[in-house]
Formats: sequence, structure tokens, C-alpha cells
Amino acid sequence: MMIVNYVASVFLVVLGLYTIVTKKNIIKIVIGTGIVDYGINLFIVSIGFNDGGTAPIFKMSEILSGAYFVDPVPQALTLTSIVIGACVDAMALSLCIKLYKQYKTVNADEIRRLHG
Amino acid sequence: MSYIHFPVLAVMLLFMGAFLTVVFGRHNQGVRVGICTVTSVGAFALIAALIKPVMLGGEVISYWMGNWSPVEGYAIGIGYEVDQLGLFFALLVVATVLLSAIYSIKYMENDSSLDFYYVLFQMLAGGVLGLVLTGDVFNMFIMIEIMTFSAVGLTAFRNHKWGAVEAAFKYLIIGSIGSSMVLFGVAILYAQCHTLNMAQLSSILSGNNSPATIMAFALMFTGLAVKAFIVPFHAPAADSYAAAPTSISMVFSGMVNKAGVYGMIRLVYIIFRAMDSSALQMLMVVFGCVTMFVGVTMALAQHDFKRLLAFHSISQIGYVITAAGLGTALGLTGGLFHAMNHTLFKGLLFLCAGAVLKQAGTTNLDQLGGLSKRMPKTTICFLVGAFSISGLPPFNGFASKWLIYQAAFAKAVESGKIIYAFVTVIAVIVSVMTLASFIKVTQAAFFGQLPARLNDVQEAPTLMLVPMWIMSILCVLSGIFYNVVDKYLLAPATDAAINVTNYIDTMMGGGYAAAAGVRNIAIAPAEFSYWNPILWLVLFIVVLAAAFIVMITGKSDRGEILCAETDVEDGKYATFFSGEHSLPSHVAGSDLFWGFKKDWKKYFHVIEGLHSGIVSDYALWAVAASAVIVIVMFGFMR
Amino acid sequence: MSILVTLFNILIFPGLLFVCVIGLILAGVDRKVLARMQKRVGPPLVQPFYDFFKLMGKETIVPHAANKAVYLAAPVVGFTSLVVMMLFIPIFGYSAFSGSADMIVIMYLLTIPAVALIVGGSASGSPYAGIGVSREMVTLMSYELPLVLVLLSVAKAAGGNALCFSLNDIVSWQQATGSGITHASLIPAALAMLLVIPAEVGTQPFDVAEAETEICEGPLIEYSGAPLAMFKLNTAMKMFIMTSLFTCLFLGGINTGIVALNAVILVAICILLTILCMTLIHAITARLKIEHLFKFYWIVVAGLAVCSLILVWLGL
Repeated sequence: MMIVNYVASVFLVVLGLYTIVTKKNIIKIVIGTGIVDYGINLFIVSIGFNDGGTAPIFKMSEILSGAYFVDPVPQALTLTSIVIGACVDAMALSLCIKLYKQYKTVNADEIRRLHG
Repeated sequence: MSYIHFPVLAVMLLFMGAFLTVVFGRHNQGVRVGICTVTSVGAFALIAALIKPVMLGGEVISYWMGNWSPVEGYAIGIGYEVDQLGLFFALLVVATVLLSAIYSIKYMENDSSLDFYYVLFQMLAGGVLGLVLTGDVFNMFIMIEIMTFSAVGLTAFRNHKWGAVEAAFKYLIIGSIGSSMVLFGVAILYAQCHTLNMAQLSSILSGNNSPATIMAFALMFTGLAVKAFIVPFHAPAADSYAAAPTSISMVFSGMVNKAGVYGMIRLVYIIFRAMDSSALQMLMVVFGCVTMFVGVTMALAQHDFKRLLAFHSISQIGYVITAAGLGTALGLTGGLFHAMNHTLFKGLLFLCAGAVLKQAGTTNLDQLGGLSKRMPKTTICFLVGAFSISGLPPFNGFASKWLIYQAAFAKAVESGKIIYAFVTVIAVIVSVMTLASFIKVTQAAFFGQLPARLNDVQEAPTLMLVPMWIMSILCVLSGIFYNVVDKYLLAPATDAAINVTNYIDTMMGGGYAAAAGVRNIAIAPAEFSYWNPILWLVLFIVVLAAAFIVMITGKSDRGEILCAETDVEDGKYATFFSGEHSLPSHVAGSDLFWGFKKDWKKYFHVIEGLHSGIVSDYALWAVAASAVIVIVMFGFMR
Repeated sequence: MSILVTLFNILIFPGLLFVCVIGLILAGVDRKVLARMQKRVGPPLVQPFYDFFKLMGKETIVPHAANKAVYLAAPVVGFTSLVVMMLFIPIFGYSAFSGSADMIVIMYLLTIPAVALIVGGSASGSPYAGIGVSREMVTLMSYELPLVLVLLSVAKAAGGNALCFSLNDIVSWQQATGSGITHASLIPAALAMLLVIPAEVGTQPFDVAEAETEICEGPLIEYSGAPLAMFKLNTAMKMFIMTSLFTCLFLGGINTGIVALNAVILVAICILLTILCMTLIHAITARLKIEHLFKFYWIVVAGLAVCSLILVWLGL
């Protein structure tokens, strides 16, 4: 079953990169970075998942006895990564607002005063 | 043993400083500056205190957050680990932060919202310091993100000037592609190895690469290359270095792109220990050479002082990557030395540019000129920096470039591939072009004639000159006493990168590395065979003698030095010998090398067209380059 | 005792005095032979000495727009690096200093006199000097590529697989197997080097930076008195140093065993080379344009050097 998650996560990452590369609207570019993040988050959650595993709440002695549970580390990683992704989006969108105020456009082709 | 807490304390000090600035520094500039000074001096002291045990004593410091030490050979907690390589880069970071903090006091005095500046500045410092000290790959990702955020925020700090927001946006988009790749790589590594600890990863990954770990390696390599701004990923660097306040440009080129370089070295030498793969060596050398060349040719085409310096930062990072990519101890020593020297001389040059910007109001080379009459101290500092970056003896750039050439020859001999000999040719040509573009700056900004509107420019304030003097002195000292630098900083760092047994054992417990089959290799010490103290002593004598002759003969009764400035009323000295009146007829920077540019017209046309300024183009380069890296890794790594 | 030998090396024999005197003599030879080629009588052989001492006694004027310190220091720095360079170049086996890779040091030291000229000219503030600086820099970029390739070919030829970057080892290699010029694969490199010399020294077809007829000596335009004398001396010294570098790289197979005799042979060879690659070309060609000069060096001269490098790498 997990193969679906992996395929979907890679698909999301590729879709996000495609969005960044091809779309000219800076808002859409920001959405693209968001999609890349979601794909990676899905991937990280998936690698920690064990089908039929219990919640990862144990004493030290129980771990050593070979208990079957979901790996908690990826969940922690995902939470952190989601927070960071949200920050990226917030920051990028605030920059978009500033850019729109300065350039009166959201078209990436016209936001190129710094070039050459 | 109290110093095992120092690395964590240094990082926390900077983050606490950021927090305290938000709480107490909203309205009072004195409080902000006080907090920032305390944290940057404190971080410097804490890291410098580690030189004795780590660099001289050969110790590796490990620190488990919350005392979560490994259980059954598996690292559970987040560990900080300071080896000689990490400490080497940490020293660069804290020194840059300290000097930049001093410089900021006067340089930023006319800006508003300085509380945000200091918060972001300390966040950036803490992020980079954490990145070079951590022993955990996910923690490294977090620190990369903190670094990128604060760097983007600082790039956009002067958002009333055009370019700042645009540069920040590009930096953010390209940077987040890089961060995503690092995160993806980390996730794959965790899935394969079930650990995030660098030491444990290193012992697991040595010699048993699966396709998944190769993919992870390619992704992390790409992500860190984005952070180091090597060539296909470099475009936002040029924009943001030029748009950020200059005290921050110095931090960017001094430590933010060094953080990427550090990450790459840590990744290829320690985590994956992949440097015996000739495909990877070739890949890094090719990327490095392209970076050098594109950086320097783009710099030749610039009209803005800071943007020109930004392209030179990119170009010099190319030297470091090339040297590190040779995969030999000598190459790595040269690369690390050049990284350190780059921090010194590029920081110095950026500070000079900042002084010009603050005093003269512009960095456009076509509008400057003759500033050496008004800012003589800045001019001297600039010349020291320019000669260092161009690699003229006896400045430090010469010593490190010399090591890099030597390493490239040795590599060509060892592997029998002529291509490594051409690396030398490219490096020398790039070095000459670097010299050319700094001659252009010298001529356009500091020498030549003073435009009338710059007549009342003053020398930069002392508080800004102090960091410049410190860096100039360091440039000269590390060029003359490079064997001292090598013995106490470079050799331990190189040794730590190549022999990882101690690193793994300290973290995971004694004998862990040996059990995993990790062994040490003896490395020959780098030889600076052109070192000859008598030569330099005598050189000094000859300089003095020659100067003496000129001065004596010039000042005897047969002739004397007439300084036209004192007799400016006299019509005789108001003209040049050439018969021109001293009217402004300045040869500015933009057309200085037309003879050269005319022959390279097509190349410049193409390369300037490629730097189109459109963010999706840059993203396309980044994605395409990462595809190339992935393909090369899969095609040629075991 | 060793310090005395060092001082002797620096100040008298391969160093200061020797280079200055021979350099000025070479400059005199150049002028005399050139005059003869143009059917003039020409100045006496020691005219450059007279010029030097006369200029030394003249007053030095620092222009209003100039940065005094840099303007006066530039010729001294160039002079120093030229003296140091001569200490590295072995005279058929006799050299004051040697290292395992002194060729790279030489390569970098060679740029310093040009940089001194550029910075000095730039510091004078004159617009003519500005144009001269630009041209000098482009000239420097032009000949640096062929120079590196030539050095690389010789290093490869001398060291085999262990690229040899020590000039002393190159000389002893030539004494063992015959001069560099006798190896067929090094002939293109020798030609390239012969063409690099006039650009490095800045004589007629390649003197775009100082073009007297258009930009009135370019970077030197504002110089007068002692600093000008130093620059003129630097040019003369460069003639000697470049020709003896050529001798060391390609004609190093001679060794009579007596240092003094070797030095005399070296001077004779240098005079011949000066006449061949500077005076002769000077007399028969007209000055190039800067963009033509760049193209010439990067295509023709660098092409010759690459030919040589490939031949050497193939082991011919």
C-alpha cells in the first residue's frame, strides 16, 4: 500500500518543481514551492509508517522486547517541516505583496530589473 | 571539561540575543547594539576557547541535547559534535559576525526599524554557527532554513530601494528549492539507515551504497550546492549580495556561502566518504571550474561595485569547490585555506564598498572617481583586498592559490589525466581576469579624477575603519605566516575531514568505527616549498633600499618632489603634462576593457542573456542542474 | 657567511646591480641596432645609462589629481619584484634561490611589474593614463594564457609524468638530454615564448599600452624625474629577465662549469634574443590595435603553445 504514498509524494514534488519552472505568476510560483513541501512531508510521514503498528508510547524495557510500532521520529520531522514550509509560504507571499506594490505586476517576466 | 558546553552555549547565546532584542530592543538603539555586541563577542570568545582543546589537543567534542546518548549503538537524540573541520568554519563564522557587528553600528545608523535588523542578524549568525557545529543531518536542515530565512529577510531589509525585494524573492525561491532537496535527501537517508546522526551515518554508509542512498546523496549535494551558490544556482546570490546592506553582504560572502561549502565538504568527505569516486571528483572539478569562469567573466561586465564583488564571491567559491573536488589532502588544504582567505579579503572588499556607499552615496562605478584623495585609508584597505584576491605575493590569496595549483598538478600526475592540468590554466586565467576587474574598480572608483559632486566626501568613520584594518592586517599576516595557519588550523581540519575514526568514536563510543570497518589513512603534511624566510627578509631590504634611492634622489637639491596640490593656485600645476586641464575627463569603469570585450562579444551576449533576471529561468537552471547531478551520480557512482 | 652570500646574490650578482647594468646595456643594444636597421647612426651604447642618471636628477612632480603615496610607490614595487624574480632564474645551474615550484612564483611575480605600471598610471589620474591602463591590462590578459601553456609544456616535457615545476630541475634536465629547443615537441612552445617576450616588455608592435603617437606613453604620461627613471629601468630589466627566462627554459643545455663564463654566455644569448624578438620585429612591423593584439595572442600564440602541449603529452 505504501507504494501509492511514495509515488504520490514524488509526483507532488515533480509537480511543484514544474509549477515553479513554467508558471510566470509569482503567486503560482509560491504555490509551487508549497507543493514541493507537501510532497516531501507526505514522503517523510510514509517512511515512518508501519502497517498495523501501535502508537509509539513505550517504556525503555518494552522497546527492547521487540514491540511493533510506528516510527515516531518521522512524525516529529514532518511537524517541523510543516512549520518551516508555512513560514516559507508566509514570507514569500509577503514579498509578493511588496513586489506588487513596487512593480505593479505579478508577472515574473516583468520583475527583472536585476539582470545581466 | 566545562568546555564541552561551549558550542551549544555559543549557538544559544546568539538565538537568545535575537529574542532579547525583540523583547527589550524595540525603541532603544543602545540596548540593541549592547545585546548584539555582547552576543557576538560572547560567541567569539566561546568558540575561540575551543581552539586549544580541539585544534591543538586533537579532541572532538560531543554533546547530546537533553543527554539522550546512544542506546545499543543507535543515536536517538540530537547531538552536537565539534571536530576540527567544524571548528575551522565556526571560527570563520564568529569572526565574520564580530567584525560585521562592529561595522553595522555606524553603517546602519541612518536606517529605521533597526530592531528587525539586529534580530535577523543574530538569527543568521546563530543559524550558520549551528549548521557548522551540529552532528545531526535534520538539525542541519533546520539550521539551513533558519539561515535562509534570515538571509532573505536581511536582503529585503532596505525594501524602499529598488532591487531589494526582487532579490529577496529570487533568493527565497531558489533557496527553498535547495532546502527541499536537502530535506528530501535527509528523508531518504533516514528511511535507509534509521538514524540522523552524521557519525553513525558515516559508519553505516561507508562502502555500501544502495540506489536509494545515491539518490539521497545527489539530492543533498544539489541542495548544499544551491546554498554555496555554485554556478547554475548562483544568480540569486549576485542579486542579493548587491541589494543587501553591505554589512550583510559581507556576512553572506563570508559565512553564508561558506556554510554551503562546509555542508558539501561534510557531505562528500565525512557522511558519505565518497571522495574516492573519480566521477564525483570530476563532477566537482568541472562545476568548480565553470563557477570560477562564469563568475569572473560576469564580474568583468558589471557596472556596480557591489554586484561586481558578488560575482567575484561566486568565482572564488569555484576555486574552493575545485580544490575540494580534487579529493586529495593537499587539495582540501588548499580549498580550506582559500575559503578562509576568501572570508578575509572579500569581507574587506565589501566593507570598502560599504564605506564608499555610505560616504559617496552610490556604488555605480560610472559615477564614482578619484576617491583616493578623500578616502585614503579606505583606498589602502581596498588595494590590500584587491591584491589579495588577485593572488599577488605576498598576500594570502597567493598562498592559497599556489596550494591549489600544486594540488591540481599533483592530481594530474597521479591520475594521468591531462584535464587536471588544464584546471591550472583556467585557474590562472581566472586569476588574471580577477586582477583585471579589480583594476577596473581601482581606476573607476578610487583613482582618476574626482567629480565635482564628490568634492566634500569624508573618510569613513573610525568605527567602520576598525574592522577594515583588522581584516587587512589578517590578509597580510596569513599570507606571510601561512605555515603557522597551516599547522594550527588547516592541517587539523584536513585531517578531520579525511580521517573520520575519531569523529565516529567520540559520538558513538570507542571502537564503533573500527567495528564498522572505518580506518584512518595517513596524510602527508602540505609542503609550502616556496617558503624561505631569508628571501622575504632580503626582499624587504631591497624594497627599503629602492625606496630610499627614489626618495633621496627625488629630494636632493638637484630635484625635489613637488606636490601639485599645495601649489594649486599656480597655473603651472593645474594642468597635466599631457596639456589637458584638470577638468573632469575621467575614464570610468564601464568601457575600460572594451578591447577585450569586443573580442568576446558573442560570449558576453550569450552569458548576459542567460542571466535574464526572471525567477523561473533561474529555477529552470537549478532543476536542470540537479537532474544532471542525479544522472551523473547514478551513471558513475558504483 | 651564508648571509653574506645571500646579500651578494641580492645586491650584486644575479640580483640588483647585474640586472640593472645588463638590462640597460640590452636597452642600448636595442636602440643602436634599431637605428642601424633604419639607416640612422643611433645613440651610443651607454645612452640608457645617461638617460637614467639624468632623469634621476630631475624634479618629481605629483599631479593634482594623483594619490601621492601610490603614485610614488608603484615604480619601487615593480622594481623590487623584478630583482626578486632574477634571483629565482638559474644561470645555467647557478641560482640564488630555488624551490620545488618556483616556476609558479615566477609566473605571479611577472605580473607585478605590469600591475605596478597599471596602478601607478591609474593613480596619476590622467585620462590618457586611464586609457593606457585599460590597454596594459588587456595586454596582460592576452599573454598570460600562452605563457601558462608554455610553462606547462616545458614542465611536462622536463618532468615526464611528475610535472616538473622547478627551474633548476628543468635546467639540469636540459643538461642531461640536450637543450629544450632541440626537442621537436617544444619548438612551437619556444616560438610562442619568443612572441610573449615583446608583449611582456612592451616593445613596438605590442606596445599598445604606451603608444607614444596616440596616447603619449599611456600610464607613464604624468611621471617625471626619479619615478620615471625607475619605470624606464624596469622596462630595461624586463628585457633581460624575459630573455634569460627563455634561455633557462629552452637553451639551458650549456654548462661550462665556471659561473662567470656562464654569465657571459647568458648575456650573449640575451643580446641575440633581444635583437631577434624585439629589435627585428620592432623594425619591420607597425603597432597592432588592442583587439587585434588580444586575438593574436589567444589564437595564434596560444595555439602554438597548445600544439606543443599536446605533442609533449603524446610523448613525441
